Amino acid sequence: MMKKILLFIKSKLFLFGAAGVFIGLLFSLAMYEGLHRTSDDKFCIVCHEMAPMVAAYHNDVHGGAGKTGIKVTCVTCHLPHDNVLAYIATKARNGVVEGAIHFFGNPDAIDWHANRANKEHFVEDEGCIGCHTNYKTNTNISAKGLKMHAHYESLKNTDKKIGCASCHAEVGHHGLKSMLNYYKPEYPYYNGKLDKQKEEVEKKLSETLK
Amino acid sequence: MRSKKTLFSIGVFLLLSAMSLIGSEAATPSPAKEIPISAEMKEKFPIKAHHAKLSLKCTDCHENQGDNPENFKLIGDEGCLSCHKSKVYLAERLKFMDTLHVNPHNSIHDGPKLYCDECHFEHQKSDNMCLSCHSNDVKLWMRETP
Amino acid sequence: MSKEMMSRRDALKLGVLGAGAAMLSASQAMAAAPTEKDVKFDEEYDVIVVGSGFAGLAAASKAAERGLKVLILEKMGRVGGNSVINGGAFAVPNNRDQKQFGIEDSAELFIKDALKAGLGINHVEMLEVIGKRAQETYDFAVKCGATFQAGKKPTWFGGHSVARTIVTSNMSGSAIIQPMAAFVEKLPGCKLMTRTKFDDFVMSADGTSVVGVTARTNYRFDNKLLSDDVENKSGEKKVYRAKKGVILASGGFSMDKVYRQLQDPRIIPTQDATNHEGATAGAMLKAFQIGALPVHIDWIQQGPWASPDERGFGVAPLLTQQGLFVKGVAVDVRNGKRFMNEMADRKTRADAEYVILHQDPKAFPVAIGTYNTFDEQVYAAVEKGLASGVMKKFDTLDALAANYKIPADALKETIKKYNEDAKNGVEDQFKKQSLKDVKGKEAIEMKGPFYGIRLMPKPHHTMGGLKINVKAQVISANTNKPIPGLYAAGEVTGGTHGASRLGSCAIADCLVFGMVAGENI
Repeated sequence: MMKKILLFIKSKLFLFGAAGVFIGLLFSLAMYEGLHRTSDDKFCIVCHEMAPMVAAYHNDVHGGAGKTGIKVTCVTCHLPHDNVLAYIATKARNGVVEGAIHFFGNPDAIDWHANRANKEHFVEDEGCIGCHTNYKTNTNISAKGLKMHAHYESLKNTDKKIGCASCHAEVGHHGLKSMLNYYKPEYPYYNGKLDKQKEEVEKKLSETLK
Repeated sequence: MRSKKTLFSIGVFLLLSAMSLIGSEAATPSPAKEIPISAEMKEKFPIKAHHAKLSLKCTDCHENQGDNPENFKLIGDEGCLSCHKSKVYLAERLKFMDTLHVNPHNSIHDGPKLYCDECHFEHQKSDNMCLSCHSNDVKLWMRETP
Repeated sequence: MSKEMMSRRDALKLGVLGAGAAMLSASQAMAAAPTEKDVKFDEEYDVIVVGSGFAGLAAASKAAERGLKVLILEKMGRVGGNSVINGGAFAVPNNRDQKQFGIEDSAELFIKDALKAGLGINHVEMLEVIGKRAQETYDFAVKCGATFQAGKKPTWFGGHSVARTIVTSNMSGSAIIQPMAAFVEKLPGCKLMTRTKFDDFVMSADGTSVVGVTARTNYRFDNKLLSDDVENKSGEKKVYRAKKGVILASGGFSMDKVYRQLQDPRIIPTQDATNHEGATAGAMLKAFQIGALPVHIDWIQQGPWASPDERGFGVAPLLTQQGLFVKGVAVDVRNGKRFMNEMADRKTRADAEYVILHQDPKAFPVAIGTYNTFDEQVYAAVEKGLASGVMKKFDTLDALAANYKIPADALKETIKKYNEDAKNGVEDQFKKQSLKDVKGKEAIEMKGPFYGIRLMPKPHHTMGGLKINVKAQVISANTNKPIPGLYAAGEVTGGTHGASRLGSCAIADCLVFGMVAGENI
């Protein structure tokens, strides 16, 4: 019996192989499509409390505001890229946690302003470096900038490690501090006085995300 | 004949690679020579927490000022802005404060034109210039000057 | 009480300090202004302006517009001195907006008002120039980029018999200073240098005319020194030639801890003022040294609309001048009674407040009014005042009286009488002009809520200074004639306003005579 099956498989080896490849490709395509569709602001914002961040992102060169209009997706900078499994795992974990907060928790309790103190924690440097490969040599960067990038490099494998966002405070999200303040003022004095600004942002955001 | 060609192209390839390596070496500035700073000096001239967090060294700001810390001079606006871009850029970052006309980097009085060290002092407590007239309001408008 | 004693003791200390400093720097004490033979000029300009406030920038703008190469020296880091923290109110006698709103005014009426506030000791020929040229100067400022709330009904300031004041677009002098500074800096060969301190004049070889200045670049004002002018040695020395002359527009000395107390020993070094910390006498004293005539030096005007509950100028002056003083009252907290015409000139009001404060230094009078008294332009400031605690809001007069420890019944009686007079069009006991507007209505609306601000006079404007003529030339005590090459304008000059300046006349004086200096140099 076993032999028969084996023979059968042997005779149709090519067919099986092809089917395997096909299934594999189909799976990766689904995976790719799945990951791709779940990588941009339109998807992320469904669960993540991040309207001001997205609004600021749209005002940034990384969000399409540059001359070329090139857009970098959320996950490029905010998810690890060292291996696919870690990438998917982080993504899944974030999805569950954020989804839970969105649907069952209290998103208002998140202190965006305080979180910015650990901004480098939210940014994956490989994401940045993936595009800015020549950050150590690019002659368009000022002498001071190159010096500081060398400084960054020298701290890389030490306990004093810093991140791209340690210095590039609003990278990817132009005017982030102001956006966050339109939504949740840092100081009570501003309460209710920035609503007009927030409305404008919301309006623009809903048009862009349509 | 064929192997010679291969060797030649490998040679060219290696040479180019080596050149690119040399090139990148040259473009990368070597980190500033470490100048020994006595504990006493460090205590006398503490740096701000946000700069300490980045492990900045004295010479990162006091560039080209020799190797005797006793002779270090003020770095002026130009020094600050070599990292912090421009006064207009800094004012833009606090744009939300413009709504209520309390942006310290773009005040009604001065616009984005004040000297950095009118308010910010790296080695001592900063002093918000707005306080000289708006003593009661500044704490409502903004945090303590970093 | 001990206030006088305190000040006398402080004056003594000051004297001792002064003696010490004098011994240390005996050589400097004898140094006269250098002549052109003693110096080597680093740079050469047509005109050098000392100071970057209203007067300095008007002078520089005019001179630069005429094609002259102008250098402006500003000792502070910020441009504009007191002018840039000023409220932006410009009295323009007989202006276009007045005509549009049917307000009758004239240069003569303006001079009459100024003389009344100035106790008749004003130099009238100076007032005449302001009266005649204010509208033209306003237009010049607009040409240089200044922006005003034009086309609106002018604002009524205390001591003026009509509303003649036009306020800048942002209610700050910065709406004049910033564009004017940019106007000058854009013209070829002109330059504005901050943190550059004027040290002395450079005289011609025969010592009769001003041909330049010595100065220090990279100078840094130090507010911790008792006398920055004498003690501060920072900066690098430079000498500038001024081919056509120097215009001194260095401002007043309300923050000169030494000199102001010598003029008025009640003003002790720790006394707060409305001025920026760099408002010192140094440059003016240098002009005296080369022979400039001093006028009215000890008339130091104090702002009666300031509050002890904040530093410097703050927000109280807006909320009282364009608010509580207009339809409201100011009362003595000890008896709940009014004690002055809240719309009188500054000196009358400050003196009235000092009468109370000399009897009891803690009995700060309180200005009281309701929302109807606030000028539309200060609505934003109302909230600021409340948030910062300088102004307080109460639902009832009883609550207000309790907070300020005013006898409640007496206060209610005062307000009742005040309201009745205003409603019936009867002239009140202090002859307040602004109550004509509320005839038939409640001046203080009894439904509340009620607003209160504690009052304390603060040194604001030094009336005295150098004597200039109508061409802004500085007059010499040696010749009674102009000192060749030396012009002056603004608060560093004296005489124009006499004993006390009316509100919103500083911008008028500074811009008009700044412009005049720029024309004549």
